[in-house]
This record gives sequence, structure tokens and C-alpha cells, in this order.
Amino acid sequence: MTNSMNDIRHSRCIFMIGSNAAEAHPVALQHILYAKEVNGAPLIVVDPRFTKLAAKATEYVRIRPGTDTAFLMGLINYIIENDWHDKEFIRTRVAGFEEMRKVAAHYTPEVVEDITGISKEQLARVAKLLATYRPGTVIWCMGITQHHIGSSNTRACCILQLVLGNMGVSGGGTNIFRGHDNVQGATDVCVLSHSLPAYYGLKEGAWKHWCKVWGVDFEWIKSRFHNKEYLHKKGFTLARWYEGVIQEDKITQYTPIKAVVFWGCASNSQSQYHKLKRALDKLDLVVIIDPFPTTTAAMCEKDNVYILPSTSQYETEGSVTSSSRQAQWRYKVVDPIYESKTDYEIMEEFVKRFGFADKFYKNIKKVPEDVTREIARGALTIGLCGWLPERIKKHTDNWHTFDVDTLQAKGGPCDGEYYGLPWPCWTETHPGTPILYDISKPVTKGGLPFRARFGTEYTYPDGRKENLLAAPGVANPGSEVKGGYPEFPGWKTDINVIKEALKRGMAPFGNARARCYCWNFPDPVPVHREPLHSPRSDLIKKYPTYPDKPDHYRVYTRFASEQKVALSKEFPLILITGRMVEHMGGGAETRSNKYLAELAPEMYAEINIKVANDYGIRDGEYFWIESPEGGKIKVKAKVTDRVDEKTIFLPFHFGGFFMGKSLAHNYPEGHVPYALGEPANIVTNYGYDIITQIQATKEGLCRIRKA
Amino acid sequence: MARMKFLCDIERCIACNGCVVACKEGHQLPVGINRRRVVIINEGQPGEKSISIACMHCSDAPCIAVCPVGAIYQREDGIVLVNKDICIGCGYCFMACPFGAPQFPRGNAFGARGAMDKCTFCAGGPAPTFSEKERRLYGQNRIAEGKVPLCAGMCSTKALLAGDGAVIADIFRERVARRGSGIAWGWSKAYKE
Repeated sequence: MTNSMNDIRHSRCIFMIGSNAAEAHPVALQHILYAKEVNGAPLIVVDPRFTKLAAKATEYVRIRPGTDTAFLMGLINYIIENDWHDKEFIRTRVAGFEEMRKVAAHYTPEVVEDITGISKEQLARVAKLLATYRPGTVIWCMGITQHHIGSSNTRACCILQLVLGNMGVSGGGTNIFRGHDNVQGATDVCVLSHSLPAYYGLKEGAWKHWCKVWGVDFEWIKSRFHNKEYLHKKGFTLARWYEGVIQEDKITQYTPIKAVVFWGCASNSQSQYHKLKRALDKLDLVVIIDPFPTTTAAMCEKDNVYILPSTSQYETEGSVTSSSRQAQWRYKVVDPIYESKTDYEIMEEFVKRFGFADKFYKNIKKVPEDVTREIARGALTIGLCGWLPERIKKHTDNWHTFDVDTLQAKGGPCDGEYYGLPWPCWTETHPGTPILYDISKPVTKGGLPFRARFGTEYTYPDGRKENLLAAPGVANPGSEVKGGYPEFPGWKTDINVIKEALKRGMAPFGNARARCYCWNFPDPVPVHREPLHSPRSDLIKKYPTYPDKPDHYRVYTRFASEQKVALSKEFPLILITGRMVEHMGGGAETRSNKYLAELAPEMYAEINIKVANDYGIRDGEYFWIESPEGGKIKVKAKVTDRVDEKTIFLPFHFGGFFMGKSLAHNYPEGHVPYALGEPANIVTNYGYDIITQIQATKEGLCRIRKA
Repeated sequence: MARMKFLCDIERCIACNGCVVACKEGHQLPVGINRRRVVIINEGQPGEKSISIACMHCSDAPCIAVCPVGAIYQREDGIVLVNKDICIGCGYCFMACPFGAPQFPRGNAFGARGAMDKCTFCAGGPAPTFSEKERRLYGQNRIAEGKVPLCAGMCSTKALLAGDGAVIADIFRERVARRGSGIAWGWSKAYKE
């Protein structure tokens, strides 16, 4: 999020696309509804499904799954055509506008209507609302990201905000609601396979930086890898790791995967789950570390599983990061119960047995404070330098002194600081940055320009040269350079460079323009590409997907070869998944809670009345859903108008059944969750994002039949 | 004297069921006893509304009027409570209540009902305040602790308001004035004035 949850209270327009925050982020709704009521902000909800959030919308836009980029580019085009774009903002702080404009011109209201199913009139109405009510916020979630063009979708959202001049202002911004309280923190320390913590990447410089921070020898780290190539090679992703075991698609690794550890991770949130199960039953070792025996444990039918009971969040402590980039200290409420151990203890036991405790704990004498301190010493790129445990605790202990609207403390021990020191919090005295890219404030007081990440000049394919730095006269107050400037050399690895930049009133990472044209992406400007499994076979030729990607996170990933024109004849219905408010993630915790299980006891599929009648399925009856990949699930029909006549919706929180069979007997005695059901992901389709490899679970196909 | 009331702002309620779970968890209710429920109408259609409903603690409460053994009574602050030592589980109150508030334990032989259970406005019951008996039969007594009911305290969007009727009416009136429409659901039926 560039802004914060609380800052949405200042929005004059709220545009939510691919987000059902009413169920996934209910607490955030208080700010959204506040802006709707107090500012009279229009609440525009774009979703294939009439969600609980849509029920609160002033403008509900039903969109065909997988066509978000077409709609967003259509809005951008319509805004520019009507001369509603923010010309001064674009002139001073945006790059590649002309190149983007040419691409966007294709997406006329007529073209958009054909691709997305959204009428010309509604597109015009929404564009007019966005142009009239500024600043507006753009909010999205997994409805935007979980597509084969997910990375284009997200960029189209960003470009929309640049064109409207809604960046770097209170009430504006691109606000991506993360999941529970530490999803952002997990991303920041990077529990992903393509980068070291804090987005440093995997190049030698990144390794050397972190080795210095950890106090370990770079050569020793290197020696732990198969060879030097693997030190720098992106690993498997959460979406496709199981291909490393079953190898249906060719892998580019010297060995198949032999063991897997699920540490607080629900495997039933991964697509093509029936294939993942094959991997579980083939591995030598499966380790599950969780407070509950999860669906994963029940899915393993080979004697290869170890379950290590970990504590819940209430039995341990440490810092967590909110969606708004804020840190908070989570104190322990009770001592660990039964034989469960905290995650720190479990990690320590492993490290000791692996024999490198001396290196692992070089800087860590007191857990978790010293861990937080080590992160602060290393994560310079995102400015976690000021996140000392004492400061985080001080904020948490004094949260009543902060203003709910501005997040700033008025008086008291944290006077002038922003709650949770939203990153970048450059130094031990920096107040935090509540709004990214806000040039109205000095950098030392929480202001920030756009980052100069891609050099100072670029020549576009048509020969046009553009200066990538911000225009003269555009800089934060107090900046020594009154205009754009490049990054300070060495700022990512040396805190003294950061301090020097701040002393001069400047941002360590420079002051540049935000790019509408990203030459390092397969589509420099986002363009529509039909979902791999598209219900509109007539559009595949015009808007084809990418060529196959042979080594995409160590596995051959099919794009063009998977996009078959005839598929929708056999699989005529669109399949999408999402969340329900009563359950969380894979549901291990919530389905084991008797009250939540009482409220939402059963797996179901939302099906439109017309589809139900055509197939002879009555409300509450079981029916089969089958995927092109051979997955099938037997679920109860919930006949509802939430979905249209082409779409089936499934909540993905259930587990404990597998293609019609109960797996209840696989749980340890006394640990069967109260609510069991078919995992939706058994029938989610093949398809992955071209950059991130996130699974495309929001644009699949399926067929159904009466059970 | 304050007159305790509930008010659910249907423009704000998002059907998250937080109030329901807070109530059940806080009072350790058995599964199947729903002191509070969230109802959705016109689901999936424009105009979909959701509302959280419990005992409204009515003025001139019909449950009190029909109770044959005088087990239900109203406090001076308007909170309607049941004395489970007196209740015979006849179910008349359930028939009389326009909000479906009274709950009865199920699963007994021959469909026999136990004593009625319902929302206490988190004010415990006739047993001595903070006693073990009060907690066991009626749940927490937050009103005696000076706290708002669990459901309203939990509400993520501040849709559910609970407290002095005059105060929450002011909050609601201010909201309505700002957004220009809306009625307090159920008030005309429950409170008449």
C-alpha cells in the first residue's frame, strides 16, 4: 500500500477491483464506509461476482474474469480522450506517457465492451466518476494478481492513478490490501525464492551485503549451495514447487525435490491440488509446523509425515508488519500450552542439529529483539533502519496518543511520529513515511519522491529519448537539489549514505519519474491477453497469451501451448475462487473453531439459478465440478444471484475431502476439524503469471454434472 | 436514567458475523444457541442488505406480556432479562417476539425445551452480580463492569451500536444527516416513541 488503511478516510472516490474486502478485510471497511458517508465518495466495485462488498457499492461493475487490463486501459484511454488526465503531474513526474497512450488508444469503449462485457455507458460513467472525484484511491487484491497477466493488471492500476495524478497524495494511492497482520512483513523479509530479504535480489552484491549483516563468511555461504549457479538462481515458487517432485513439466534443477516443510502454510490454497497431493505421496519427507494438524497432514497417505506442534501468535512475541507498512509489537498473552513450541524454539532446535548455530546466532543473543535489530541493520532498501524493537514497542504501548486520521502522534513519547513507523523509516529518529511518493513534505518528515531505480535516461523503440528524473522544480521541501536527481551511490548497503542524503533533505534512492512504459517487462505497456483457458475462443487469436517460458522458476511453464481454442466447448463454465469471512486461508484454524464451523459448516459452490435449472441441480444438492486437468470435486449447490450465468464460484478454505472421499480418518485422533469439505483448488486450472508465477485461479474453466 | 438500546446501521453492516462470534465466544454459549444472528436479504442483488439482530430489549416487551410464570422482567435501564430458575421453557415468548430472540437448548428427549436463553445486553442475570452462577447461566456481566456489549464492541464497521438510546440515536442521526438517507432498522417496532 502506498497509503494507509486510515488514509482512505480522506479519499473522495474509492475504486476497488478484484477485492472483496467486506469478507477478506472487514476491519478496513470502517475507513471505506467512512469516506463513502462523510466525503460522499463514490464506491466503485469491479468484480465478476456481486460480493458483500458490491452490496455496499454505489456503482457495481460486473466484469468477465481475466479482462481487468482491458477495462483499466479502457478507462485510461477514455480519461485521456476527454482530456481529464492530470497534465502537470504527468509532465513533471511520469515517464513513458506517450508510449502508453498509443497502446491505450486501442481500448476504445466498444473494444472494451466486447472483451470485458462492461457496457460503453458504464465505462464512461466510471471514468467520469474517477475524473470528477479526486483524490481517489485504487484498491485491489488477489482478483487482480492471480492471472497469467497479473503483473500487467497491477501495473494498469498504477498507470490509472498516475494518469489521474492521484499518487503521493492523501486520499489517493494504490492500495493493495494484504492478508492478515504479517503478510507484508513476510514479503519484506522475503519468504520467496527470487530474492534475499528486503528485495535485494540474488546477485553477488546482495549475498555479500547480507553476509556482512549476518556476520558470516560469504565463501562459507557459497559452499552450502550445489554450485555457484544455484547461489544466484531463482528457486521454485509456492505455486509450482510440486512440479519439482512429479515433473509433469520439465524442471531445470540437478535433482528432484525430496522433502518439503510447511511452516504455517496451507497447501490447499495452491492450484491443481490433486497434483500437489501426488507430490506429497511421492516425497521422502513432509514436515508440517502448525498449531493444528492441517489439511496437508490429512492429504499425505504415505508414511512420510512429521507434525511439529507450534504455538499460536498469542503464546509468543515479536514485531509484525501491517498492510500499511507499519510495525507493531505483538506481546505474548499466555505461555505455550501442552507440548507446543514457539517458532523461534523450533528454528533453534533445527539449527543446533544442523550444526551452524554459532553462525546463525552470531548477532542474536536475545530472541526476538535481536532478530528485529538484525533486520533493521540489513533492510536498507526499504528503510527498516529505524525499526528498533524499543521504538516499535513504544509505539504499541502508546497507540492511544496517535491520531486516527493522520496516524501522527500529538504529544507524548512519540510526538510527531507516524504510528508503526511506516517504512521507509530511514533512521533511528525518522518519523516513518505514511504516504509513499508524497513530495509535499520534507523527506526527514515523512515525504518521498519516486525512486530512481532505472537510470537517468531512456531511449524508446521509436527513438524518443526521455529524461527519467523528475522535472526541474519538483522535489521535497528542503531538498538541496530542486528537481530530479539520481540515487546516492551505495545507499543500499551503507547507512551513512542514507544519513548523508537525509541531511541534505534528499531521498537516498533519488527523485525520478514513475514509468508507464516498463522495458524490462514482456509487455512494456499492459495489454489484454485472453486467459489461458478462455471462454471466448473467438478472442484468443486477437489477444493471445505469451510463448511458453522454459525456465520459469526452475520449471517449464506453458503459455501458448496451453491456450487451446476448443477447450471452452468441453468446459463451458468459468471457475473463480475467493474468500468467505468466516474462514481464513486453508482453514486449519477456523474450521477447528466450533463457532466459526457452525456459521460456515460446509463447502459449497455458488451457481446461478439459470445454470442450476439448465443442469437440473437444486439448491442444496450435491453436484460434480471437473477441471480440464482432471481434478473433480463433489460440492453442495448454493443457488444465488451473486454469480452470473457463466460463472461458478468456490470458497477455497476447505479441506479434508478429496475428489468425493472423506479423509477424516487421516487426522490424528481427536483432531478432525469441525468443518470438512472439498478443497476448491482441486479444480482450479493450469496457468501462472509471466513474471511472478502466481497461480491464475481467478480465470479458469470447468464443467459440471449432477451427482 | 439511561435507556439501553441496540441500533444496527444497515448501511454499515457488512455481514461479517464478528458480533455473533464475539457473543458466542465471550459467553461460552453452546453451539446452536444464537443470541445474535446476521440476516442477509436480497443476497446477490442490487439493494442487498444485511443486519445483525438480537433481543431488542423492547419497551412494553411482548415476551414479558405472554410469559405465564413471570420469568422475564425489565430493568429500569430497559434491559430485558430472563430468570432461568423460574422459566419453564414453554416457548410462548418465542411466538410473541417479533425479532426471533428467544433461544432454547435442543437435543432433549421428546423435544422438551430447557430454560429460555437470549441476549442479556451483556448484563448478566438475576443471580448475584459477578457470581459463578450468573456466569454459568447468563454469561458475562459487562454492563456492571461499565463496558459496552461484546457484539457492539467487536463491530468492525461500527454498524452495531449499543448503549444509552439517546446517545446512539444522536450518533445515528449525525450519520444519516451526513449521508442523506436511512432509517434505524426495527426501532419503530421495538421502541414506538
